[in-house]
Amino acid sequence: MIAAAKERGIEMSKFMALSSLLLFAAPLSALQGPGEDPRPGATTRAAPSFSPVTAERLVNSDAEPQNWLMYSGNYSSQRYSGLDQIHVRNVDQLQMQWAHQLRILDRSETTPLVVDGVMYVTEAPATVIALDAATGTRYWRYEHEMPEDLNYCCGRNNRGVAVLGNRLFMSTLDAHLVALDARTGNLLWDVEVAKEESGYSKTAAPLVVGDKVITGIAGGEFGIRGFIDAYYAKTGELAWRLYTVPGPGEPGNDTWAGDSWRTGGAATWMTGSYDPELNLLYWGTGNPAPDWNGDVRLGDNLYSDAALAIDPDTGELKWYFQFTPHDVHDWDATQIPILADSRFDGEERKLMLWPNRNAWFYVLDRETGEFLTGKPYARQSWASGLDKEGHPIRVPGTFPSIEGNTVSPSIGGGSNWWSPSYSPRTDLLYVNAYDGETTYYIRDEEYIEGERYTAGGGETPLPADKYKSAIRAISPQSGDMVWEYPIQPRSSAGVLSTAGDLVFSGTPDGYFFALDALTGAEKWYVNLGSRVHSAPMSYMVDGKQYVAIAAGNVLFTFALNE
Amino acid sequence: MLRKSLHLGITGVLVVTLAGGAANGLSAQDDANPYDAGVDVRAGEGIFERHCSRCHGMNATGGETGPDLSTGRFRHASTDAGLFSVINRGVPDTEMRAFRRARSDQDVWQLVAYLRSLSGGPRVEVPGDPANGERLYQDKGGCTSCHMIDGAGGLSGPDLSTIGERRSPEDLLSDLVEPDERVMPRWWRMRVVHRDGTPVAGLRMNEGTYSVRILDEDNRLWSFQKRDLRESERIETSSMPSYAGELSDDELTDLVAYLYGLIRDEEG
Repeated sequence: MIAAAKERGIEMSKFMALSSLLLFAAPLSALQGPGEDPRPGATTRAAPSFSPVTAERLVNSDAEPQNWLMYSGNYSSQRYSGLDQIHVRNVDQLQMQWAHQLRILDRSETTPLVVDGVMYVTEAPATVIALDAATGTRYWRYEHEMPEDLNYCCGRNNRGVAVLGNRLFMSTLDAHLVALDARTGNLLWDVEVAKEESGYSKTAAPLVVGDKVITGIAGGEFGIRGFIDAYYAKTGELAWRLYTVPGPGEPGNDTWAGDSWRTGGAATWMTGSYDPELNLLYWGTGNPAPDWNGDVRLGDNLYSDAALAIDPDTGELKWYFQFTPHDVHDWDATQIPILADSRFDGEERKLMLWPNRNAWFYVLDRETGEFLTGKPYARQSWASGLDKEGHPIRVPGTFPSIEGNTVSPSIGGGSNWWSPSYSPRTDLLYVNAYDGETTYYIRDEEYIEGERYTAGGGETPLPADKYKSAIRAISPQSGDMVWEYPIQPRSSAGVLSTAGDLVFSGTPDGYFFALDALTGAEKWYVNLGSRVHSAPMSYMVDGKQYVAIAAGNVLFTFALNE
Repeated sequence: MLRKSLHLGITGVLVVTLAGGAANGLSAQDDANPYDAGVDVRAGEGIFERHCSRCHGMNATGGETGPDLSTGRFRHASTDAGLFSVINRGVPDTEMRAFRRARSDQDVWQLVAYLRSLSGGPRVEVPGDPANGERLYQDKGGCTSCHMIDGAGGLSGPDLSTIGERRSPEDLLSDLVEPDERVMPRWWRMRVVHRDGTPVAGLRMNEGTYSVRILDEDNRLWSFQKRDLRESERIETSSMPSYAGELSDDELTDLVAYLYGLIRDEEG
C-alpha cells in the first residue's frame, strides 16, 4: 500500500513538472513572428486543432484544400486536391513522414479525413482512430462492438467516416450507423440501419448533406432489398428511405418477374456525390440478386446497376440511368459518381463521368440524366455498342452457363469501387482499368434469408499475369484514352489528382507512385511492401503538404522535407 | 410461382437429371461429379466450413472427432459417387450423420468437389513399372537436370517430390507430351539485356510493375529495374521438351507410374 502510494506520489510530481514545462513552452512557440512562412495553412502561432465542420464548409470545401472533409475530397467526388506544394518537378524528393500501423490485420481500404490537423482513419471491421495529422500520434480510438459471427461478403472492411459539426459518422459491418464526438470518440448515437442476420452490412463512408447523413447498404450477395437512407445528424432519426428496388404499385416494379423484387439486391455499398446548385444527390446501385442467374428475375431489374439522382431533402427519385439492364455478371454500378463542369459539344455542361464496372465509360448530363456519350475504356466482349439512349447492344451468347462462358470484363470489372479522379486543370478523368475476363457459371440456388444468394460464380481462365491493368486518362468530351500507365498485375487502388499536376495511385505489388497528370510520365515511386488496396488523399498541416496512402495494414504519409 | 416455372424452364434438364439421381440414390453412383468447377469448389468450401468443420477441422485436416479428409484417401469411399453417398447417408455406427442440411444434390456434389480439390483427385491404380519409370527419370529422360525430388536435382522446373498428390495420371501424361499446354507464370522465362549490354536469360521468378527477378541457367539470381533494361522479352512456353517422340508409349506409362507414386509418406 505504502509503496503504491509513493509511486503515485512520484507520478504526480512528474505530472506537475511536465505541466509547468508545457505552460512555459506554449508562450514561447507563440512568440514566433507572423508571416514567416507564406505557405497557406502555415502555423505562425499555437492554435487548437479541429473546429466544427459546418454544412457550409462542406459545400465550400475547395476553399480549404488543407483539409479533406469527405471520402472523395469534395461533393463532386473528384478526388482532386487543390494543393500544389508537391508538383511534377519536386515529387521525386518525397520522403516518408510517419506511418501508422493498423492494429487489426486485414487489407485496408480506408481514406482518411483531415480536419484542421486532426486525421480520422478507419480500421477493419468498424474502428475509428483520431491522429495528429502532422506526427501520426493518437488522440483516441473507438471500437464498435458487434457480434462475432457476421454475414458479409467481399471483405471485412471499413472505408472511412463523414463529418458534420463536432460529429463523425461511421458505417459498421453489422449494418449500423454510429455518431461519435470528433474530439473524444464518445459514442453519441447508434442506429440499426438493417438486420445483419438477413445479410445486410455496411462498409462505405457516409455522405453528409445539410443536416442529414446519407448512407447506403451492402449485401447484394445475400438477396437483400437495397436502399439509400438519410438520418438526421443530430438525433439519428430516419429522415427518409429510398428503396432501390421498387415495391408493388411503384414505377419499375414490373421490371422484376413475379416476387423476385423482394430479393432483388441493388445494394448501395459505396459513397455518393452531391451537386449543391442543383440540390441533387447522386448514388450508384449494385447488382441485382441473385448475381448470375437472371432467369429467376426476368426483366430489366430497376434500379439495379444504375446511377440515381435524388432530392436530398425528401428522398424522391428525380432521374435514373441504368447502365446494365438485367445484369447477369455482377457488374455493380457502385462506382463513385464524378461530377465535372466541362465542355461537351461546344457547350458548358454539368457532366457526370462514370467509368463503369461493365467496362464502358459513360458521360451523362447530371441535370437531366441524359446520355451524352459512351465508349469502352477496358477490354469488353459483351456489348457491340450503346444505342442513342445509352442502352447496351448485347452480343448474343454472353450470359453465364452451366459449363461456363468466358466474357470480358471480369467479375471484378473494367474498374470497381476504387475511386477514379478528375482534374479540372487537365480536364481528364483518371481511372484504374483492368483488361480481364471471367468464365461465368450459373448454378441453382434457392433464397434462404441471411445466406448467400448468388446462383453461380466465376473463374479466371488464365493466370492473372496474362491480363493487363493500367491507369488510363480519358477525355470526357470523346471518351478517348489520352495516355495509359501499365501496372502489373491487377490493381485495386484508387487514384488522386492534384493541383501540382500529379496523379497518385498504387500497385498490387506494393508500390505507391506519382505520374505527370498531362502525359502519364512516371515521376516517382516507392515500395511500401504490401498491396495498395485504397485510394490516396492529400492535406496540409503547418504549411506542409502531405500525401497519405494505406498499403497492407499501414497508413503512410509522404511530404517534402524542408 | 412464376419464378419457379421460369427457373425450371431454363435449367430444367440438368435439375431433373440430378433430382432423379438423388431420389433413388443409385444413379448418382454412376455419375461423375457434374459440379466440379472452381466455383463449385469454393461453394463446397463454404458448405464445409458451416456444416462439417466442427468435426473434420476448418481445413478438413481432421478434428477431435472426424478424420482428416484432405489426403485424397477415404475410409468409406473411393469414387466421387461413393463420397456423394457417404455424405448423403452418413456412416452407420459413427458420428458421421447424413448431411440433412443440403439444399440440393448440388450442395453435396460441391462438397465432393471441395474435398477432391484438397488432393489430386481420387487415387487410382495405374499401369506401368514405376521402377523403370525412375530409371527413365534419372537417365534417358534427363529430368534431374531441371527438376528436384527430395532435395536432389535441378532448379529450373517444379519440385516433383509430391507431384503424385497434385496431378492425376492423365495430367502427368499431358505434362510430358504437351508441356506448353499449362505453364504457370512461375515457370515462364525472360530474356533481357541490361543497358550496359549484359544479356541475361532464365526463369522469371517474379515480375512486378517496376522490376523483374530472374534465375539464370547457372542458377544465379538477378534483379533488374525495368527502366534499366534495353530489351526485355517474356517467354510463356515451357522450357521442357515434349517427350512425345522421345519416349515410347510404354516408357511414358512407366514414367507416369513413377511420378504418380511420388506422394508424402502416409504417416507424414
